[in-house]
Amino acid sequence: MSVYHTLRSSVVIGYMLSIAWVRRNLLSLVWLFATPFSILFLITVTSGGHAFVQATIGTILFVLATVGTGLAGDATWYRLEVKLQDLFVASPVSQMGYLLGIALNGLFFATPALVILLPVLVYLGLPLIDLPLVMLAVCAVWLFSATIGYIVSTYVTNLRNGWQSGLLLSVIVAVIPPAFYPAEILPPNILPIAYLMPTTHASLILRSFIGQTPELAYWSPAFGWTMLGVSLVVALLVMLRLARWRQP
Amino acid sequence: MVKVYHKSKTPALKKVSLTVNRGQIFTLLGRNGAGKTTFLRVAATQLLPSDGKVEVLGSDVVSEAAKIRKKIAVVPQEGNTIGPLTPWDHVYLTLLARGMTRADARDRTRKVLDQLEMTSYQSKPADTLSGGLRQRIRVAMAVATDAELLFLDEPTLGLDAISRRRIWSVLKDICREGRTILLTTHYIDEAEILSDNVAVINSGTLVTSGSPKELLSKVDERVRVDVTGDRFTEDDLARYGRPVRIAERWRVLTDNKRAGELTIEAVRRNCDVSVSPVSLEDLFVDLVGGEEENATMSGDEK
Repeated sequence: MSVYHTLRSSVVIGYMLSIAWVRRNLLSLVWLFATPFSILFLITVTSGGHAFVQATIGTILFVLATVGTGLAGDATWYRLEVKLQDLFVASPVSQMGYLLGIALNGLFFATPALVILLPVLVYLGLPLIDLPLVMLAVCAVWLFSATIGYIVSTYVTNLRNGWQSGLLLSVIVAVIPPAFYPAEILPPNILPIAYLMPTTHASLILRSFIGQTPELAYWSPAFGWTMLGVSLVVALLVMLRLARWRQP
Repeated sequence: MVKVYHKSKTPALKKVSLTVNRGQIFTLLGRNGAGKTTFLRVAATQLLPSDGKVEVLGSDVVSEAAKIRKKIAVVPQEGNTIGPLTPWDHVYLTLLARGMTRADARDRTRKVLDQLEMTSYQSKPADTLSGGLRQRIRVAMAVATDAELLFLDEPTLGLDAISRRRIWSVLKDICREGRTILLTTHYIDEAEILSDNVAVINSGTLVTSGSPKELLSKVDERVRVDVTGDRFTEDDLARYGRPVRIAERWRVLTDNKRAGELTIEAVRRNCDVSVSPVSLEDLFVDLVGGEEENATMSGDEK
């Protein structure tokens, strides 16, 4: 399948599962706000407002990571209940087209949160000219998370495990790494482990755009971008190798 | 084709060998769990075979799946529709995702919804429609494609008699266009009416195959007599032909002369009795076992 057809089918699948859905079910856009904005609220209040910048960055990454890892549940539902994966396996749609489609669906549901939080980042000091790069960094986290969520979904055999896996993955990808808190507080021997997670680099990149360039061992924006790219490529390669498009 | 699922000791399919000719409706008939869906899913490149060679439209299902996938479409078994999407959305967007142009997708969506008598529901959210209408949406999503080969896994499951006939008519039209249909069902009347060829699968093994006419010729008897009640023993009935127990009744496969004698005797013993020609259902019961009432019920009876 050509790149054009892959992108076209992914946009159609994304539209099918998001915009066409939301047109008749507007309330579903609201649910995603609840958890990340609660965390933002709590961190801001308990820090007396000092941690608002870091909490905002964390919330943006949490939203993107959650809609991605949430695919562990959503894609399981599409596969086991709707049989959507079966439908598209036996069709010209490629696995990559399907993955991008269901991932775009998640991105759409994250849009309202981004529409609120990205202007907040600009208000906090992000130069407008850097906004596309910020979006590139957070989208890398989104696609990485979606790929991991999708891979897991292809192994899950019941829906409840799918949703639960999604929750667990979102903790691993977005809560444990230094997204909501500064990486500087991590012990030096833990830091290399945190570097394995793209969320860490996206968080540090966002901070450096706001003028809070972190001073960490071995870390630079170039290293951060490289690690973001590498983790995404590795996730996609693992997906192509291990995800069960056709069941064994 | 052989298929053994992971963590299963029993093969779901044991060396099943079948040929489906182009432009035909080929039906896999069997009880629940017989292996019909497994066969269909392997052929539709959704499931890997454990052993054997399967070619679809001249390509190997393992090494050339991408080639096959451009030319096929499926109705998966017991799937669901997507909540708030309308029948139009389901069909039109599926066609677009498969790579069809917007104009072609619009034309085909309009045509198939009309064929399946769904035009008046085309803008209603699927989750407000009945189960039968939702099943028709799923059939429409496959039928509307330009696929050369359609895999339909129990496409009329849960439909009323009129809806089933409407789908049969659409499938016949597809066949007249030179496209091929491989379908599974446990509705024997459906297999008999629709199919150019039928294969009966039981416990993962191919029991028999051929056209409905050829299969019927394999039954020695020409008439069946259904007798309700307990006033006959199996030995009593064996004198008139071959008795098979089906739920609360006995079915005796026999010839015209002995059917007449049994009917008279049944009336004398005050039993309900009916006489009819043997059907594919009788062959099916004969082949896969007469004790199972579910397997022998036709769609309309259900």
